[in-house]
Amino acid sequence: MTKETFLHDKHIALRAKMVDFAGWEMPVQYTSIIEEHKNVRDNVGLFDVSHMGEVFVSGKDSVEFLNKIVPQDISKLNYEKAVYCQLTNKNGGIIDDLIIYKLGILEYLVICNASRIDEDLNWMVRNSKEFDVKIDNQSHNYSLLAVQGPKADGLMRELGMTNQQESFTIKPDKIGGIKVLISRTGYTGEDGYEILVENKHSEYLWDKILEEGKNFEIKPIGLGARDTLRLEAALHLYGNDLDENTTPVEAGLSWSIPKDKKECYNGKEIIEEQLKNGGKKKLVGLKMLDKSIARHEYEVYYNGEKAGIITSGAPSPTLGKNIALAYVNNNKEICTGTIVQVMIREKLHDAEIIKKPFIQKRNRVKL
Amino acid sequence: MIMPENLLCSKSHEYLSDNGDNTFTIGLTDYAVEQLGDIVFLELPDAGSEFKKGETFATVESVKAASEIYMPISGKIIEVNNNAVETPEILNEDSFEKGWLVKIEATGNVETEEADLLEYEDYKEELE
Repeated sequence: MTKETFLHDKHIALRAKMVDFAGWEMPVQYTSIIEEHKNVRDNVGLFDVSHMGEVFVSGKDSVEFLNKIVPQDISKLNYEKAVYCQLTNKNGGIIDDLIIYKLGILEYLVICNASRIDEDLNWMVRNSKEFDVKIDNQSHNYSLLAVQGPKADGLMRELGMTNQQESFTIKPDKIGGIKVLISRTGYTGEDGYEILVENKHSEYLWDKILEEGKNFEIKPIGLGARDTLRLEAALHLYGNDLDENTTPVEAGLSWSIPKDKKECYNGKEIIEEQLKNGGKKKLVGLKMLDKSIARHEYEVYYNGEKAGIITSGAPSPTLGKNIALAYVNNNKEICTGTIVQVMIREKLHDAEIIKKPFIQKRNRVKL
Repeated sequence: MIMPENLLCSKSHEYLSDNGDNTFTIGLTDYAVEQLGDIVFLELPDAGSEFKKGETFATVESVKAASEIYMPISGKIIEVNNNAVETPEILNEDSFEKGWLVKIEATGNVETEEADLLEYEDYKEELE
């Protein structure tokens, strides 16, 4: 049985094309992936991302507990701030990537991927035995809407958002009298907000955002454009670019890991060693040099030998080129500017390694 | 002219249009194109190459994924629609008149090979 979000009827009424994603029936597109993609870059888009998981962590030992399960230092996370984290296993492999928000003293919200909620919960509970902590999965009670794009801030003000927020913050607020949690985060490379709301109010909120959004040229956006948007911003997709056999260092996420964290966390030894010497592989960005498109699991060659694998690939509507992410051997010769080949339907196609992200991100807003 | 009412369609969403003279035009049905969404890449075989019924002869890519296209009957490619290769988005506008893929000369027993293809109307009905 596939699951449906509380906005399912809205998607059907908008004639969305529905697909299965991680066991959820979700809109992949409403009109056209390219059109929707461009609208988020130029104006603003509304996404239903209610399939994502919300886990509340609270209790006397919540900081110590969270510090054991992620490489990031949760003791340094301030009130109403957010941090991008990885849930690592004992080998430093990534079980999931998360955003952790500090909602109050000893109260945290963990947003996880729909496809990983069961694994995450299982791992959290297993690691919680020595801690006085409450792990409360509330995924079934909340809907999550994302408002993303250069016009998102203007629209949110029009909707009555009262707080001014920097990127990576979360604040309780009200929209049309409905209590919500608003965070200035997203998965598009654009400025934008994510709004956590009780399921029973999600349809009201969806309609209100689309109605007020008319003046901002809003469109509903499906998972298809969400994928191309995040790829241009070189944001990882769990299951494609991240998995349990890949460490945060290999995934190019060293920037997110503090070098001086004292507490022990799962996989610390391996991750610290890799922070010094690098991992077995590294994630690079590719631009195809012809019209071909590299896709997930296609092989990458260098000097006639297999040297890696594509994890995500698609046309970039912004650049008008076909782009990809790939793991390649951690070989110094394979770096920005290097030409490699991608095996596509038994033929090799040239691709150039280029810097990530593929576009200039505009999602860092400071007050 | 490719008229939907004169088409035979496969379960894998290719159409076959009989031009008389033992040649046929092959393309993707309007349903297939709508399901694929924005088409961004098309790879067609060279004229002169031969394929058996059911073999992959071309690839179409939408933003999301690559899909193989199969021969509805056996044949030799006599013409390819280079226009569609250059501007694959024309398939989204019209996969019949502008966005056909290849023309073939049948090389098998057409009558037997056509047996599992559906008339356009029946094909449409089957989709519902």
